[in-house]
Amino acid sequence: MIPFDYRRPDDIGTAVATVTGNPRAAFLGGGTNLVDHMKLGVAEPELLVDVTGLTSRDIERLPDGGLRVGAGVRNSDLAADPLVRERFPVLAQALLSGASGQLRNLATTGGNLLQRTRCVYFQDVTTPCNKREPGQGCSALEGYHRHHAVLGASRQCVAVHPSDLAVALAALDAVVRVQGPGGERTIPAETLHRLPGEHPERDTVLEHGELITAVDLPGLPFGPRSRYRKARDRASFAFALVSVAAALDVAGGLVRDVRIAFGGLAHKPWRARLAEDALRGRPAAPDEFRAAAEAELADAQPLRDNGFKVPMARNMLVSVLTELSAEDGAA
Amino acid sequence: MTSATSPTSTTPVTTPARTSEEAAGGIGSSPVRPDGTTKVRGEFAYSSDLWHEDMLWGATLRSPHPSARITGLDIAGALAVPGVYAVLTHADVPGVNRYGLEQPDQPVLAEDVVRYQGEPVALVAADHPETARRAMERIRVDYEELEPVTDAQAAAEGKGPAVHPGGNVVRHVPIRRGDPRATADVVVTGTYEVGMQDQAFLGPESGLAVPAEDGGIDLYVATQWLHVDQQQIVAALGLPPEKVRLTLGGVGGAFGGREDLSIQVHACLLALHTGKPVKMVYNREESFYGHVHRHPAVLHYEHGADRDGRLVYVRARIVLDGGAYASTTGAVAGNAATLGVGPYDVPNVSVDCWGVYTNNPPCGAMRGFGAVQAAFAYESQMDKLAQACGLDPVEVRTRNAMSEGTVMPTGQVVDSAAPVAELLRRVRDMPLPAGPSGEPDLRRLPGGVSNTTHGEGVVRGVGYAVGIKNICFSEGFDDYSTARVRLQAVGGEPAATVQTAACEVGQGLVTVLQQIVRTELGVEQVTVEPMDTSIGSAGSSSASRQTYVTGGAVRAAALAVRKGLLGRVGHVPGELSVSGGKVVSTRDGVLADIVDVLGDDVLEETVEWRHRPTESLDPETGQGTAHVQYAFAAHRAVVDVDTELGLVKVVALDCAQDVGKALNPQAVLGQIQGGSAQGLGLAVMEEIQTDGGLIRNPSFTDYLIPTVLDMPPMNIDVLELADPHAPYGVRGVGEPPTISSTPAIVAAIRAATGKPLTRVPVRPEHII
Amino acid sequence: MRLNVTVNGEPKQADDVWEGESLLYVLRERLGLPGSKNACEQGECGSCTVYLDGVPVCSCLVAAGQAEGHDVRTVEGLADGDTLDPVQQSFVDAGAVQCGFCTPGLVVAAHDLLHRVPDPSDEEIREALAGNLCRCTGYEKILDAVRNAAATS
Repeated sequence: MIPFDYRRPDDIGTAVATVTGNPRAAFLGGGTNLVDHMKLGVAEPELLVDVTGLTSRDIERLPDGGLRVGAGVRNSDLAADPLVRERFPVLAQALLSGASGQLRNLATTGGNLLQRTRCVYFQDVTTPCNKREPGQGCSALEGYHRHHAVLGASRQCVAVHPSDLAVALAALDAVVRVQGPGGERTIPAETLHRLPGEHPERDTVLEHGELITAVDLPGLPFGPRSRYRKARDRASFAFALVSVAAALDVAGGLVRDVRIAFGGLAHKPWRARLAEDALRGRPAAPDEFRAAAEAELADAQPLRDNGFKVPMARNMLVSVLTELSAEDGAA
Repeated sequence: MTSATSPTSTTPVTTPARTSEEAAGGIGSSPVRPDGTTKVRGEFAYSSDLWHEDMLWGATLRSPHPSARITGLDIAGALAVPGVYAVLTHADVPGVNRYGLEQPDQPVLAEDVVRYQGEPVALVAADHPETARRAMERIRVDYEELEPVTDAQAAAEGKGPAVHPGGNVVRHVPIRRGDPRATADVVVTGTYEVGMQDQAFLGPESGLAVPAEDGGIDLYVATQWLHVDQQQIVAALGLPPEKVRLTLGGVGGAFGGREDLSIQVHACLLALHTGKPVKMVYNREESFYGHVHRHPAVLHYEHGADRDGRLVYVRARIVLDGGAYASTTGAVAGNAATLGVGPYDVPNVSVDCWGVYTNNPPCGAMRGFGAVQAAFAYESQMDKLAQACGLDPVEVRTRNAMSEGTVMPTGQVVDSAAPVAELLRRVRDMPLPAGPSGEPDLRRLPGGVSNTTHGEGVVRGVGYAVGIKNICFSEGFDDYSTARVRLQAVGGEPAATVQTAACEVGQGLVTVLQQIVRTELGVEQVTVEPMDTSIGSAGSSSASRQTYVTGGAVRAAALAVRKGLLGRVGHVPGELSVSGGKVVSTRDGVLADIVDVLGDDVLEETVEWRHRPTESLDPETGQGTAHVQYAFAAHRAVVDVDTELGLVKVVALDCAQDVGKALNPQAVLGQIQGGSAQGLGLAVMEEIQTDGGLIRNPSFTDYLIPTVLDMPPMNIDVLELADPHAPYGVRGVGEPPTISSTPAIVAAIRAATGKPLTRVPVRPEHII
Repeated sequence: MRLNVTVNGEPKQADDVWEGESLLYVLRERLGLPGSKNACEQGECGSCTVYLDGVPVCSCLVAAGQAEGHDVRTVEGLADGDTLDPVQQSFVDAGAVQCGFCTPGLVVAAHDLLHRVPDPSDEEIREALAGNLCRCTGYEKILDAVRNAAATS
């Protein structure tokens, strides 16, 4: 860990101004990812600006039936919130499938979204990595990559985004509220994270100094009929190989509306627009779900050792939608 | 003080051994651990908790390359960092810059070459761990990288560059029995692979070295074998043994991973050089580089049997990747070879096992020690044979099960209980878990809390396995332990102390030693003194041997003390014994309080105790009575497999094991449960991933071990068929459950999926 | 920097704390409380679990400065003098302690669980303890210990 300064400003404006004024400054939330990366030498900020206690820890009702989640809300509190559990079960399930109780008690909503990839090469400063040091090359392309991307990757980077929360937010059309040097702005959760392209060093569209202050969850009438599922190498406390966040609205045996996002497949939460479009108006039946999943995954480009993710994602989506449709029919 | 050699080889103890089980907290009971309370309070001093006034922090600079020549080394930049007290290289090693458990082939600090990623190159002592780390960044090492040797199979065949001057074969063990050209009606073949497993003990490598006024050093360290550490440190420091004194620091688990040196010489070098106490603690990443792992293996097997499934022959070729230094590779190869056909009676055997050098991470001891790798292969073969013969997996095993009197492939006659068939029948007859019914709790299904599977596509499978392990050190090793027992009156009560150098690594040896003394001396108050090198060696806390060997030594010392005590009573009618703090006669009942017999005297005896000797193996035929004792466990695994997602949930893992005599039943269960969990880890998740000699997952984020959600409840059946050659009839407990757990789980996954699954760990991509 | 933190009910002060130190390091090396353990220091094992403002967290991932002014309770603060907390006593009695390196973290996590859920099901116990790795016991006797503690407290 390199030497650094630590500050706890009194308000968000000062925090934003402080980070904006120093290109090597970083915001510190729960610290579960950043502190670890500083120990590994992956992150080397010279100034840490602690925003815990500054960003809101409240969950407020929005008039449209949605919720506003302060960026400082801890993952455990968000997962336990009765309104979240009732209106957006996919969100609570996503949170509870991640990390451990001790980490969820620390991790914040804003910080969770800004987690960095768990690619082993990104975390090992002795190996080339374009995300850590642009231009070095990607070690994972031909290396140990069973956890890596099958969709939307580039020759520069095949890493995946590790957040479970972000996958649920992408499916729910959530909106990320940001405060930066130029004031406030909003970003659809689906577009907060980027595909790697030629700039894998950038995980998100945020500019330096921009701070996530809240996440808005718009009202979704069929939000209660939503699910998160995650496959991983042990029963808990591990990152996703593949995950699915889905919400389904069925009327008269037909899909009236649907939201789907995959985790573990790409550099960002993968909103499955192709599958959604293929399903709207179609019968809510397993063969339709399978066809939609295959349409979404048709462009998958697996690496040497991660081809299993494609059938895993397909089967998981079929299973989740089948379950949601059964529930919907019964309701 | 007397010293005596165990008489057990000539006068076996009758079984069951004479005991005074009425002694409260004696053998056969499960008293609480003497260290339990301090551990739950957070007050137990682990080696990483040690602290000394004025102490410095040591750190190790390691090679980033698996194979390279060192062409330059400049420490000036590091020495200039404020707060740095010493920067040392191989030139600062005053003695012999080589160590190793079987052969001294490993440099304390690298000289002109490095042979694995993580090999120590230089040391720093500084006032803060962070200062030391920053100083290391300012040490300049110039490397000329070399192509690493990573193919163990090629190394066994003598192909490729030599990692060490003598070539890459550390040891080749051939075993030849019966007709090498035997033929059979039914033949099954297979090639199996075992990934590199890590011990993953939780307490990191750590210790504190304190320079002494006599020019020597006092080292407090977490280890498995104080005296073999001492021997190696003495050679490297060029000091006489009396100037290198070791005391066991609290040990946070071991499982074989602390049998080789880690911080020992390094901390001593820094302390002697600076004249200050030096503490070293690895972090988890460094721990993965800083200890040996379980040998990865490739195993080719051919089993021939008659149409009834009775084995005619087994032929096997096993290659164990020992990595860059020998460590215990020779002994691991000896085990894999001699135990290579498993607990079966096979008339014709031809096994060849090679342990080789490569530039992969060094491998050595881990729970199961060569028997684990072989068992995955031979048990997979037995299932194949069952299928080929149309037999039930338990039936094919029981038809071939060895028993007392069986001649091993080495020619050794098994001369105590070998209840292989019985263990299999017992696990077979245990109740099976109910299948999922109604609305299942999702936490019980594959995927656990991830809400992954709702029962669709879930298939149940059941699998069996049985394994064999040698207990204690083998192949002619002089395997002994030293114990001192003292008896005196303290505050009007009889009190005993027991001293050994046997390492308590978590297994509960301290409790068992107390129990033995309570039973033999009839006193309740027994104190276990700190383990250190002020007494003779106890041998290693490995090979499931400490209860047998150090237990035997403590028992012998206690019996010698008892003899002295009873001698003071003089000649009285009847036979004398001790119980409940009294001397008791068979004829007249209580004769005296022990405290009165003792008066102000202290009775003390020190005994060096050996188990019966073993023989080395014939280098051409592998024949010889190489092992002291064999131990057996069987498992039945029940798994639910989500075939759509490739996820496995082990829903039951039941075990039957013969332990000879359960000196502490609670601790026996703890060993079986913990050992089975490590076997589960190897079956479905644990592997150090290497790529060109480089470790890719040196963290608990990327090297996964089972959580409480991964371990199922276990039914356990403990048999106590006493071994007449062993103290109290004990049979080593720690390793067998790790051996059969893995193949039973994989057999169950095969039964559920029909997939061949020839490699462990089994991953979703092998099933989906 | 100087750090003020309440530990096990007592105000504590540590001087010359470097910003990069974790709460775990401060507890172990500066405040003489080595009970919280350093098995991975990456938030992946739970051995460093302490209560921070009444909530169990991995102290290895809390930057020292973030603990300023907060309330910390460690494994050393659970017993009442010589009387062990029921969770601690159950761990000893059930044989849930082998090497014991995971024990402080597990004791804190189990203590928290039983405060939230006095009579947990087996599945609730497993889920609550899934963030604490143990390598010795296979977890069976840890489950026994938590069940017993729930029954006796």
